[in-house]
Amino acid sequence: MALKDVKPTRSELIGLKRRVKLSERGYNILKMKRDGLILEFFKVLEEAKGSRDAVGEKYEQARQMIALANTIEGAIGVKAAAMSVREKPQLTLKQKNIMGVVVPEIESSKVKKSLTERGYGVLGSSAVIDETANAFEELVDEIIRAAEIETTMKRLLSEIESTKRRVNALEFKVIPELKEASAFIKMRLDEMERDELVRLKKIKAKSKA
Amino acid sequence: MSSVSTTGPAPYIYSSTRMRVRKMKLIRHEEYMRMLNMSLPEITRSIEETEYKAEIDELSSSFSGLDLIEVALTWNLAKEFQNVLGIMPGVIKNFTASYLQHWDIYNVLTILRGKTQGVRAGKIKEVLIPAGSLDRVVLDRLLAEDSPERIVEALSSWSLYPVLEREFPAAMEKGTFGDLENELFKEFYRYVLKQTKSGVKGGKPFRDYLKLEIDLLNIKTVIRLYKGNAHVDVRNLMVEGGGFSVDELARLAASESMNEILEGIKKRYPEGPINELMEKADQSMPLHEMENALTKVMLDQMDRISRRYPFSICPTLVYLKRKRYEVANLRAIARGKESGLPGETIAEFLVV
Repeated sequence: MALKDVKPTRSELIGLKRRVKLSERGYNILKMKRDGLILEFFKVLEEAKGSRDAVGEKYEQARQMIALANTIEGAIGVKAAAMSVREKPQLTLKQKNIMGVVVPEIESSKVKKSLTERGYGVLGSSAVIDETANAFEELVDEIIRAAEIETTMKRLLSEIESTKRRVNALEFKVIPELKEASAFIKMRLDEMERDELVRLKKIKAKSKA
Repeated sequence: MSSVSTTGPAPYIYSSTRMRVRKMKLIRHEEYMRMLNMSLPEITRSIEETEYKAEIDELSSSFSGLDLIEVALTWNLAKEFQNVLGIMPGVIKNFTASYLQHWDIYNVLTILRGKTQGVRAGKIKEVLIPAGSLDRVVLDRLLAEDSPERIVEALSSWSLYPVLEREFPAAMEKGTFGDLENELFKEFYRYVLKQTKSGVKGGKPFRDYLKLEIDLLNIKTVIRLYKGNAHVDVRNLMVEGGGFSVDELARLAASESMNEILEGIKKRYPEGPINELMEKADQSMPLHEMENALTKVMLDQMDRISRRYPFSICPTLVYLKRKRYEVANLRAIARGKESGLPGETIAEFLVV
């Protein structure tokens, strides 16, 4: 706000004072929101670190198991067993609110199946197929969990960024400018008051003379 | 073969001698150990220089790399088994065909599953192993059918058709062929056990072996169900005819800990290799390792009865098993090397 655009009136001063008060309240709330979001972010970050490691670990286990299954049953046996699976995992996407930030909540079903739910016969298959299927089911489960956590983390991060920008704008631009404008009006009003006083004195002196 | 008598001891002497010659040609333990120290291209070349060359040459235009090796190995297995069925005289042929029916179950179910999932016929064909009584021509005919119902109808002359016909509607309704597969395997064992009483020479020792095979299959199922946390009626998954009764197996499956299951097995087998294996096994032993060890026990037992009854059906069946595991071993070495598994780990999975 350039000072030349400011109208040095009392009502403008009252308006500016109101705006300063509002900005300062907004600034405090946004600062609290930013701090709260940072706290939440660090909590999610811990979980994310764990889930990243878990995905890596589960992936490695699944890779080892498929290598073993290919070794023991052959790619043909693995492909034939894979044909038995008909039910695909189902994902339900919900939303939850963390300090005004909408984050996803992913619910999965039919990922982890019991031995008899996988579609292949128990008598015609081998244990390595069970162990491989199990390893991949656990991997899919972990990926779903990681997807939820990482999306939450990204959304929180972008919200923290925008809140931080708002807080900084209020702290270093909006509030100082408003205060400066209000000080300017105050000074101009004082000056105008003094002018008026001098003018009145001069009129009084003239009328006495 | 037409000149071979189909009665008396002649067919057994003929088949046993032919199978013994074939068994001699199988890859030996030392050769596997040498292969474990080779690089993948060396292993491929080494396999190409054996009995599998014809299949590798034939399939090289359609497949490449390790897929070529694996498909060539299974094609050779199928061809060899069909060949064996072709040269077997009379009753031995019927018995061998009935024992090879587990390949038919695998093939029929693969076709049914592939068709219900809308997989292309060519893709399904890649995973078929026509090593049983339903040969490549029959399987091609089944693949050409346009619906699972038509496939079942086309199998009306198959010996396991009654089970297929009975269980198929429920399988289609549930959308899974798992129960159908289990029922087919149960019927398969029932059928082979019955065949051992058909007057075939060596039927009695083979029946004893089959009981062991059924026991080990049931033990594996009980352990898999326990580890897989499956809460189902185990009676439906148990094969009858082994040493354990279905009630005993159900009690075993209801055990609260793995140790309790192992103790139950040890009670039934107080000595011998199964007992030793159960002694070594614990909660942490991966199931596939236990399964592999049980397979070795089965093969040892089969070898033993084959040596004790040299002119019976046993040498033929031993050869078929050995051939099957030769293919499995070569595949394991090639796939294991491809996956970067260390030689010692691959060696653990070899059945030699």
